Amino acid sequence: MFKEFHHQARGLSHLRDGTPVQDRTKYLSRGGVQVLCLADGAGSASHSQFGAQAVVDEGCAVLVERFDEYASSNDGVQVKVDLLDRLAAKVTATAERHGVPPDSLASTFLCVAVSGNRFLGAHVGDGVVGYLKHGDLRSISGPDNSEFANQTTFVTSGRALESMRLFRGALDGVHGFILMSDGTAESLYNPRNGELAAACTKLINAVGTAPGRQSKNSDYKKRLRRLVNITIRNATKDDCSIGILGRVVPS
Amino acid sequence: MARLALGTDDLVDNPTPRVPVSLCLDTSSSMSGSPIQELVRGVNLFYDAIDEDEDAHDSAEVNIVEFNSSAGLVHDFASIERLQRISGLAANGTTAMGAGVNLALDTLEARKATYSGSGVLYYQPWLVLMTDGAPTDNIDSAVRRVVDLVEAKKLTVFPIGIGGGADMKTLARFSPNRDPLRLDGLKFKEFFEWLSRSVARVSRSTPGDSVKLDLEGLAGWAEL
Repeated sequence: MFKEFHHQARGLSHLRDGTPVQDRTKYLSRGGVQVLCLADGAGSASHSQFGAQAVVDEGCAVLVERFDEYASSNDGVQVKVDLLDRLAAKVTATAERHGVPPDSLASTFLCVAVSGNRFLGAHVGDGVVGYLKHGDLRSISGPDNSEFANQTTFVTSGRALESMRLFRGALDGVHGFILMSDGTAESLYNPRNGELAAACTKLINAVGTAPGRQSKNSDYKKRLRRLVNITIRNATKDDCSIGILGRVVPS
Repeated sequence: MARLALGTDDLVDNPTPRVPVSLCLDTSSSMSGSPIQELVRGVNLFYDAIDEDEDAHDSAEVNIVEFNSSAGLVHDFASIERLQRISGLAANGTTAMGAGVNLALDTLEARKATYSGSGVLYYQPWLVLMTDGAPTDNIDSAVRRVVDLVEAKKLTVFPIGIGGGADMKTLARFSPNRDPLRLDGLKFKEFFEWLSRSVARVSRSTPGDSVKLDLEGLAGWAEL
């Protein structure tokens, strides 16, 4: 059993420009599967916030539906194809509703799902997925950038399938997971050595040991939101989103 | 809930991604007098404008390559904090444009290698080529390098003709995606102010952005 925290904060440049937050996060728990998704809408895409919402909605839906199938499949390529098809179909439908081409809804996609003693996840584009296992903080999937800082791959990109990274494993010794967009990664990830900041351990442990029943406005969530809205957001001009699963430690 | 106290040691302090800009300037004898004086004034205004913009200030790194009878580095890449305003440029000799562009490209490649070696992210480099005449050396290899980089989306190039004598056909060879610009009179100030705003736009871009430069903003002072 994991507790969750997810949040997106509007970047300082978006505040200045009057543009909306283009990051989206979502958590869904159903049928013993817990799913956390995060998407960073492309700044250059006119409707990217709708695309980001579409892929986190669909990502949560497909992973609770098909967790067992995906987690036990040995055909990773087929899992990637299935997952990407579902995301792309949702983006296309959303784009049609808005009367714009699908690439106007370009976004990245990061997810982690846990059930029983297994986890799986996927990642397209930049941002970082990490986990805390046996007390060691590790990056599972780092940013997929080209040579330049402002280029990456999106769910709607031609090379999305090629770019998608899929991972799975047993939950033995895993204390939690952390997902972050590139804005958040400016404070929590070092691209020079691929290591996560020590703060990630504290954040994962804080979520896992949060008291009482979960609610949208519990004190611990307020404190975490404040941390993202102030400390992490002030280190970048970009939107900042984060998703955390923290394993509940039996008392 | 575990006590959540994050200090600066718990976070990563990553450097701001850089935009390397190479100004490749014609300082041949035909530039003597008011053109070279206005050019120097424009470059210094460019530095001032970058200094005043919060985003460009943190990200822009500029060098100057000059070409006359040969090519030379006036100053190497530096952030605006370290850039000294230039007091003047001497105009003399012929127009070794090929050598100038090749040197500018070499400096951009070297700068990118420095960024990569130190783990600093960077945006697509810019080459600003300004001349009032026609080349007196062979420009074929320089043209090929620029075109290859532009077509690979690894370079943004601004070929700028100064005055009526600039060889726009030659400049067009350096710019496969859009026509070169001709300055209307000696409006260096407006050009460099626009360039500074454009650097700021790039430095505000986020991953995935293909930054659209406000070329319409040039319409008041340049022929497109």
